[in-house]
Amino acid sequence: MTAVPILSVENYSLDYAGRAGAARVLQRVNLAITRGEVLGLVGESGSGKTSLAYAIMRYLPPNAREPGGAIRLLGEDLRTKSASEIDSIRGRRISMVFQDPSTSLNPTLTLGEQISEVLVRHKGLSQREAYEHGKALLHKVGLKDPAAMMRRYPHEASGGEKQRVTIASAFAAEPDCILFDEPTTALDVITSRQIIDLFRELQAETGVASLYISHDLALVSRIADRVAVIHRGCIVEEDPAAEVFRSPREDYTKALIASVPRPDRRLVTGEPPAGATPLLAADQVTVRYGRSSFIDSILRRPAAGTIGAREISLDVKPSEILGIVGESGSGKSTLARALVGLNPFEGTIRFGERRLASAADMDQDYRRSIQIIFQHPDSSLNPRQTIGDILLRPLRLYGVKDNGSERDMVAKLLEEVQLPADFAKRYPHQLSGGQKQRVAIARAFASRPNLVICDEITSSLDVSIQAQIIELLLSLRERFGTAYFFITHDLNLVRQIAHRIAVMYRGDLVEVADVDTLTRAPSHPYTRALLDAVPTPVG
Amino acid sequence: MPDALRRLLGTPQGQLGSLIVFAAVLLAILGPALAPYNPEQFHITARFQGPSSRFWLGTDQFGRDLLSRIMMGARSTLPLALLATVIGTGLGAVIGTLSAFLGGRADEAIMRTVDAVMAIPGLLFALLIVTSLGANAFNAILAIGIAFAPSMVRITRSVALAVRSQDYVKAAIARGESSRFIVVREMLPNVIAPIVVETTIRVSFAVMTLATLSFLGLGAQPPSSEWGLMVSEARSYLFRNPWMMVWPGLAIAMIAVGFNLLGDGLRDALNPRTSE
Repeated sequence: MTAVPILSVENYSLDYAGRAGAARVLQRVNLAITRGEVLGLVGESGSGKTSLAYAIMRYLPPNAREPGGAIRLLGEDLRTKSASEIDSIRGRRISMVFQDPSTSLNPTLTLGEQISEVLVRHKGLSQREAYEHGKALLHKVGLKDPAAMMRRYPHEASGGEKQRVTIASAFAAEPDCILFDEPTTALDVITSRQIIDLFRELQAETGVASLYISHDLALVSRIADRVAVIHRGCIVEEDPAAEVFRSPREDYTKALIASVPRPDRRLVTGEPPAGATPLLAADQVTVRYGRSSFIDSILRRPAAGTIGAREISLDVKPSEILGIVGESGSGKSTLARALVGLNPFEGTIRFGERRLASAADMDQDYRRSIQIIFQHPDSSLNPRQTIGDILLRPLRLYGVKDNGSERDMVAKLLEEVQLPADFAKRYPHQLSGGQKQRVAIARAFASRPNLVICDEITSSLDVSIQAQIIELLLSLRERFGTAYFFITHDLNLVRQIAHRIAVMYRGDLVEVADVDTLTRAPSHPYTRALLDAVPTPVG
Repeated sequence: MPDALRRLLGTPQGQLGSLIVFAAVLLAILGPALAPYNPEQFHITARFQGPSSRFWLGTDQFGRDLLSRIMMGARSTLPLALLATVIGTGLGAVIGTLSAFLGGRADEAIMRTVDAVMAIPGLLFALLIVTSLGANAFNAILAIGIAFAPSMVRITRSVALAVRSQDYVKAAIARGESSRFIVVREMLPNVIAPIVVETTIRVSFAVMTLATLSFLGLGAQPPSSEWGLMVSEARSYLFRNPWMMVWPGLAIAMIAVGFNLLGDGLRDALNPRTSE
């Protein structure tokens, strides 16, 4: 390892000028990456990690101000370069891989055109040479049929394939340094594992200096040599990767690590009563999408709809936490929506003694007992209603009676989710993401339900907020004995809290087992692949 | 709402638009009190005059004071345009939201009918209605309102569809709310902002269409001082006194620009994303 770093950021500060004065985004940041090294940069949303990446790429918005510091690539300060000099550096000596491959590729150009453009521009190859070289690059990033892939448009490739193409074009000009901005966040667990393996392989082979930005501490600690933790624009700690988990120094890092879900640390104590009659059971429930068209009905052919969930039989017992895991499109949300009457379904749902064959059979008692919380609190709270109105609605609808006035009842609901009573007057946009999700939880609990369906409720939140929300859910369960249907793609998280886990894959329920059995001896190959793909924290 | 007003007055187009519209409304209310002459009083000795200290904007072929006529004209032009727009947007908003909410085949049927109506040019459609119902101001309003409705249906429906797919509507369905509650309490408040914006922009079109109808002799009838009618009458005397055409034309243009700016300002002010 040479002493001169490829990329160094020295005492760098960044402000965004706004109406209310300048807001500090980065505060005296110091980083250095040498050749062949991977520096992981971990932080929560709003911590400034992406701003730093854009500052290094010299891709700042017009209201950005740089009060001090330097960004050096092999000793040259990028801040002093002119726009045309930056143009020749960007893509050739320093390149970037973005989070979402479906938006970072141009939908109107073939993948081949996009990768050969890089080679023509930065390596001075002719079109024909570039195309051939591009094919070789696609082969190198593990794409099965590079020649066919070159001719495809982005929408004809899967998310994983697209991310392989963007990685290939980032490596194409053999840059000195590559920035990876959450390259696997938009991908499924198994696909992202493959992308990470590819990243390691190429990294070892080319020895490029990499800055790997992520919110996922467990992931970064596995692939980086050193990890820097950024909080509110300051680097609070920088350690060799293995030591961050074992011996964090700063309080913030300790808190962050404590919030990372670890499957070996169970959060739920006590088992649900064994052999109890199920609270709710799905019996051969199938959900189809797409209605039969006019022509279909004339020709009397079956509707060409897709199946969202196929013959699912599943039950949940009183005060049990049933985890449902699977990748996107596996049908877990589809099933949840059928259970609350949002999707038409075939088959039956058993609720206590009753059998329901369609959404029309769901009466108020059923609706009251089964509540759902959605993934995005931004969209599940009506922006034109105050928090008070939002919480009051289920109380009025179900005629929930208490000994206090309506205002007292709303205040009590807010207190249950640890929010101050004066939040009742606010509008959703005045709250943070975590607070909004608490309001959504309070709304679900207003009717004192027996089962709450949590549809990926923590996946749009930061880990520290996620840990608080989980803690809240568990304390509410302790208090009211509520059962949960906990849908998530985070296997580590669900292994911490669920009693049983159901695994879904492409619309099928492939396995249901209690946590220990599932972890020790998964019976289905997909479950095994899923368990292998999840990065568990080091140490 | 006070927040939205403050944001509206914080943008230059919002300020200017509100100012022009406010001035026009003031003119429509106070016009007769402020006008220096009776707008129908003839000054036979002073016909076809240009702007002077006696007649600030000049006089027409009968020697009527143009300033007084324009001030009175605000009274007939503005309420007519507003009424026509309200009829059009009201009709369009109801049909559009209904179509989005019903979905499926009903949605198809409504939207294809609307498409068919949309295929007829607006002015032609208005002419058709006026000629078949008779030429007077009320029929002109009705014609413009009906001609406006189809595009309003499309706008409202697209917004309502986006709102319908939001999780808070799904949450309301899952909660077991009635359809009426979902449409009126959950959906409508979130659809209203783009409708208000579109309405203000439409007012300027209504002013112009109304003026066009009057110009063609199918809207307001003489001796009304409706601005479009004034332009139409001035056409015969274009070379003797061009001011007769300039002033009402300018007034129409000002109102159109004013409402357009107000609409632009409202669009920014009512956008929930900028309300953070």
